[in-house]
Amino acid sequence: MAFFEQEIHDAPTTFLSKYVFSFDHKVIAKQFLWYGIAFLGIGGMMALLIRWTLAFPGEPFPVIGHILFPGNGGVVPPDTYAMLFTLHGTIMIFFAITPILIGAFGNYCIPLMIGARDMVFPTLNMLSFWLAMLSAVLLLASLFTPLGGAAGGWTSYPTLSTLIGSAGIGQTLWCLSLFVLGVSSTMGAVNYIATIITLRAPGMGYFDMPLTIWGLWLTAILNAIFLPVLGAGLLLLTFDRVFGTTFFLAGAAATSGSGDPVLFQHVFWIFGHPEVYILILPAWGIVSDLLSFFARKPAFGAKATALSMTAITILSTLVYGHHMYSTQMSPLLTQSFMMLTMTISIPSAVFFANWLGTLWKGSIRFDTPMLFSLGVVFVFGLGGLTGLYLATVSTDLYLHDTYFVVGHFHYTMAASVLLGGFAGTYFWFPKMFGRMMNERLGKIHFWISMVGLNGIFMGMMVIGHAGMHRRIYNPFVYEFLQNLIPLNMFITISALTMGAAQIVFVYNFIHSMYKGPIASQNPWEVGTLEWTIPSPAPHYNFKDIPVVRCGPHEYGNPNLVGKDFQYQTEELVKA
Amino acid sequence: MALTEARNALKSNDGDKIIGSVAMSVTLVSFGMLFLTLMMAFALYRFTAPVWPPAGMERPSLLIPSISTFLIALSSYIFINFQKNIEKGTADKRSLLFVLILGLGFMASQFMFWNQLKSHGIYASSGIFPSIIYSFTWIHAAHIVAALGLMAWLYGSLNTPDKLTAVKVSSIGKFWHFLGIVWLIMFVTIFVL
Repeated sequence: MAFFEQEIHDAPTTFLSKYVFSFDHKVIAKQFLWYGIAFLGIGGMMALLIRWTLAFPGEPFPVIGHILFPGNGGVVPPDTYAMLFTLHGTIMIFFAITPILIGAFGNYCIPLMIGARDMVFPTLNMLSFWLAMLSAVLLLASLFTPLGGAAGGWTSYPTLSTLIGSAGIGQTLWCLSLFVLGVSSTMGAVNYIATIITLRAPGMGYFDMPLTIWGLWLTAILNAIFLPVLGAGLLLLTFDRVFGTTFFLAGAAATSGSGDPVLFQHVFWIFGHPEVYILILPAWGIVSDLLSFFARKPAFGAKATALSMTAITILSTLVYGHHMYSTQMSPLLTQSFMMLTMTISIPSAVFFANWLGTLWKGSIRFDTPMLFSLGVVFVFGLGGLTGLYLATVSTDLYLHDTYFVVGHFHYTMAASVLLGGFAGTYFWFPKMFGRMMNERLGKIHFWISMVGLNGIFMGMMVIGHAGMHRRIYNPFVYEFLQNLIPLNMFITISALTMGAAQIVFVYNFIHSMYKGPIASQNPWEVGTLEWTIPSPAPHYNFKDIPVVRCGPHEYGNPNLVGKDFQYQTEELVKA
Repeated sequence: MALTEARNALKSNDGDKIIGSVAMSVTLVSFGMLFLTLMMAFALYRFTAPVWPPAGMERPSLLIPSISTFLIALSSYIFINFQKNIEKGTADKRSLLFVLILGLGFMASQFMFWNQLKSHGIYASSGIFPSIIYSFTWIHAAHIVAALGLMAWLYGSLNTPDKLTAVKVSSIGKFWHFLGIVWLIMFVTIFVL
């Protein structure tokens, strides 16, 4: 239960206090949303440049190729290609998905769904956003340095990322940018955890929280614990680059004593594997709620779903070694990591079955948020199952560093998370902006995106299985890969299709903000606390702090009269 | 829960204390993981090296690190007493000033230590052991500077105490003691053993 009631502050009046340096969690959520969408565009454009290079090697990129690469006839040069895939990964993971799923939905949903007036530390919240902005400036600035941005891959393994592999300041700025972003995310994590523990409305036990909040809470816990691990690695890498320390230099490169390049891989993946769950837990939470909301049924096994997510969170901290099977680690360790990784399948299967149980015999409403949620069920199923091959040592040794890995992690980290993000955006848009998004455009966006992304990522798994390596500028110099050119062209056309679908989304989003139909207080007929207040939510959220009397998924109760759901503030109707 | 009971609970004065405690605990877990990662790296270098310190490097003198240890331990002890007195309502601001001075003394001792290393021709780039010594002490010192800044702010805010003063003292105290413990671990593992 809540420990204290926040006061209602006066509404901000100036432009700066209302829209720029706002303390309001809802405004900060929108700032993170815009930030994430902007970087989604930049990262997506980089993906198209990469895909074009692989489908049409040596061909100039259409329309803007001659502007971007005038010295190379409009063709992406090899060094730029390395920079593109490095920054595409970095931007999509840290600057697009993280701000949207965690920054935007975390900020927007946590206070509203737990019945609070704001985050517990509003100033820290604002600082967190502006540090994220500083981080973005550092990353973008790296593109304009003499030798260009970072090009050591999004994992930045030494020696690719030390001065030996990446001269110039671009990689150093990459390190600093991620370090600053880590500080920003850790500040957010402290705020989220403290808010959820201390500001829940009276009567709201942990299992009365919507599963969206469970997902965001577990994500915040992982962020607070594991981001500093990456932070330590980045600091040491920065020291190696700037002050000449020798942490990640081995042998002759170190003047005396010896560093260890593989240590960075350990540090990176101790953070990196939980990072997968940091990104996907909010999407799982959102989807777990939306499936129940739109199937008009209680979430099947909601407690088991919450506990499964918790179990996955704990197990995710113990499995990082499966990213490093090819580093000659002891077979005893590889088998331990393999077993632990496989163990994650158990809680994953539990909550996946719960999703299906929620849908079973539901009165499903196929609104756009539900379509995207069902899309997550599909793509996460595929992504999860293909992960088993990479968890198994014998198959991983063949598939390591092939496009199979790229296809797998895009299914889990990109497709699932993006679709979950879109589901959340379409769902909470009415509460955010007081207007509805266009349903027809939303459905067009969904279906084209689904076709496009499956064409991309399924195709990647096929070419990966055929042996195509993930980081080669022109794989077709190898004769055995030349017959994969048509498949690569298919993947690129799928990517262009998916990119085009996003134009529909952006148009729908911006148009609906100003011209969409006015949203009612509760357009989806949902019982969680944010739908008990007007749309858009007032700056103080709740005039009176609500008292919670039932769970978030009370649908289809046969004792209800005239409606099929209950608000969390209502006593559970009994016969 | 009855509505009135719930509203009364909401207005409980313990709220700030609990929030401060939860938030500082999470923050210290984060800082703890940063230093734990550094210590893990140190352990890896230390236990995989055939000889330690490697490449014939001599261990640095223990004198200045010992002085640093004494200063930070004494400052923590004084802070604990200051915090007890705050809770009793009998605190003397001069105790906090003394902690601040000892903290500045700790920083001065760190600068002396770095200068001493340089005067012996030992730089951050001189190998893995100096890399560890310099980097870890830099990172720890950066946290010390932040803590000293917080303590200076706390010292100023003691002129106008409010219901949050005890929470501020408790939270900053936890941070300061945490940094003391980290230093102690670094002192024993890197300099003594």
